[in-house]
Amino acid sequence: MANPKVAFFKFSSCAGCLLNVLNIEPVLLTVLSVIDIEYFVMAKRDNHHGPYTIGFVEGAVTTPKEVLELKKIREECAILVAMGACACTGGVPSIKNFSGMNQDQLTKTVYAENIYDPFLASIPAKGIDFYVKVDAYLRGCSYDLGEFVELIKRALKGEDPLFRPHSVCNECKLKENVCLLVSKGQPCMGSVSAAGCGALCPSLNRQCEGCRGPANDCNAASLAKTFMEDLGLSKDDVVRKFRKYAGNTPEFSKGAEAAL
Amino acid sequence: MSDRRLYVDYLARMEGDGAMDIVIGENGEIKKAAWEVWEPPRFFEAFLIGRKVEEAPELVQRICGICPHAHHIASLRSMERAMGIKVSEQTRLLRELMHYSDWIMSHALHIYCLAAPDFVGYESVVAMAGNPDLLPIVGKALGLKRLGNDMIVAICGNEIQNRTSVLGGFTAVPSKATLQALKERLKAAKEFAFETVKLVVSLGNVAPYNKLERKAEYVSLYDPKRYPINEGRLYSNDGLDVPDEEYPIWILEKHVPSCNCKHATIKGKGIFAVGPLMRVNNNFGTMSADTKKIAAEVGFSVPCFLPYFSIVARALEIVHAIDASIELIDVLGEPKLDEIKYEYKAGESYAVVEAARGSAMHGGRVDKYGVIQKYDLIAPTARNIASLEADFKAFVPQLLNLPDEELTLKCEMMIRNYDPCQSCATHSIKVNLRREK
Repeated sequence: MANPKVAFFKFSSCAGCLLNVLNIEPVLLTVLSVIDIEYFVMAKRDNHHGPYTIGFVEGAVTTPKEVLELKKIREECAILVAMGACACTGGVPSIKNFSGMNQDQLTKTVYAENIYDPFLASIPAKGIDFYVKVDAYLRGCSYDLGEFVELIKRALKGEDPLFRPHSVCNECKLKENVCLLVSKGQPCMGSVSAAGCGALCPSLNRQCEGCRGPANDCNAASLAKTFMEDLGLSKDDVVRKFRKYAGNTPEFSKGAEAAL
Repeated sequence: MSDRRLYVDYLARMEGDGAMDIVIGENGEIKKAAWEVWEPPRFFEAFLIGRKVEEAPELVQRICGICPHAHHIASLRSMERAMGIKVSEQTRLLRELMHYSDWIMSHALHIYCLAAPDFVGYESVVAMAGNPDLLPIVGKALGLKRLGNDMIVAICGNEIQNRTSVLGGFTAVPSKATLQALKERLKAAKEFAFETVKLVVSLGNVAPYNKLERKAEYVSLYDPKRYPINEGRLYSNDGLDVPDEEYPIWILEKHVPSCNCKHATIKGKGIFAVGPLMRVNNNFGTMSADTKKIAAEVGFSVPCFLPYFSIVARALEIVHAIDASIELIDVLGEPKLDEIKYEYKAGESYAVVEAARGSAMHGGRVDKYGVIQKYDLIAPTARNIASLEADFKAFVPQLLNLPDEELTLKCEMMIRNYDPCQSCATHSIKVNLRREK
């Protein structure tokens, strides 16, 4: 049986998720022996057009050109994976959607001169599922390498990777961490954020910032109230928390709106 | 006879999205030599306005997945300066170790995965691994890259985006046992680092690469006592020597009518370049003893104005980064968790660090509530555009006898010499975003 054809694409983002593909050094050569990388411009000079078995997409969609490219990529890929926070939810680039500035003001702030370039005609930053159907999500900024390898293994067997939908708190409790919110009064987003990172940040004494987006059935509005009433955060602080990595999602929007 | 055009619409083995367009007239004159970055802008400097100061280092590391730590540390240092926060000596050393880890990872990645395939005639490192003769060296290269990554994970919790380093210090620090285990691996990695230097010299010290010389102004940080990575004065081989926070005063952007991008110039002077070759030229004296020894052994000396030797500078910096990291681990001993304490204070400041691919500047203005009012950042790649175009103009006429395919590859390599980060560079490239077709 021929190896599945795999492609890696990048939209508006830092390229960190693509680089992370190469960060599985101990198993990289093994993985490369069971898949054929057909398209990965950051890593190779010889790239081929689809169709592909699996397509991984990094980055938020922020230009009309990217919308067209994404739709073409969707047609070419049997399995389409949103890779990292930007592709899943819009990620850090989506902060501009809530900056209070319109696109013209954003452009003038960064590109001081008053120039018109169609290339700078940026649109609100969205995750890729705003435009196309997505088959699997590698959440987080950046995603978990274990989940990436697991997804490839499952895809080779034609199985769903069954990533967990519960909150970071579950994994944090299993690690027997002291709760940053309850015990230390820190505005940790773990209770509303999706697990799978192994509660990475709270385990390092750093509050969760919600980079993996909302957990299933999370109650963001309640957490927003806790932040304000129990921890004394300002309205603006709470809004900033919920509009960082996944401000586009309906769940985190409820958190921001509860503060406003 | 018509013009000869070398055009690559999506440059491979570089971070980000860019194109190259070179037009050569019938008499061999360069009519156009452009490197066009058309990575979509993400408006960091705009959306950071109104965010909290402690979010700046967290968010700006997301500018670039390859040099997140450089952006992060430049942001930390500038924001701490702006608010008058003093960090502990341990924090300064840990930040240095964190950044050297990034250099080891990034330089190993660049040398073996991005640059070497050009020199040995493969389309990628994956293709190189398919050759049984090259497979062992690819394995060792991945091992060295992993070592850099494991150091980053030990300090930051994660390969790409750090979790522990915050304004004022660290939320968690590695144990002595963890650092000692890394030290043993660093010691063991020295041999392959030496091999790497010898290998890249054998690749680079051949015609035409060792003939393509262009004297230029080289800018980097400088410290007479210590190889600069996170701190130092802003310095050049041609007389610039100022405090790093004065970067916005000394480095200016100028629109050049004949060219479709903005060029960075030094105030009162011309264009310049940043990167490992520039850093090694300006700071060879403070590299580790073993780095100087291997440099002498392979016949490398400064000044060196051969852009294709940037791969040699990177290899030398791997040796130095290993030695510097071992020394830092010794000095750090058993790191203690410092209390992070600061108050918001209004202020404005800037700071420069040496990213693996050259000097990066961050900074801005904060109000008394800790809310960002203004934010600026300059990535190394943006600084090198003018320098790259000067390379094209100087070197392409010397290579005209090559067939198109080979000349195109040589030009791509001229871009890769700068190890560009096109995601980083985007914001500074203003009119250079239109693709010709």
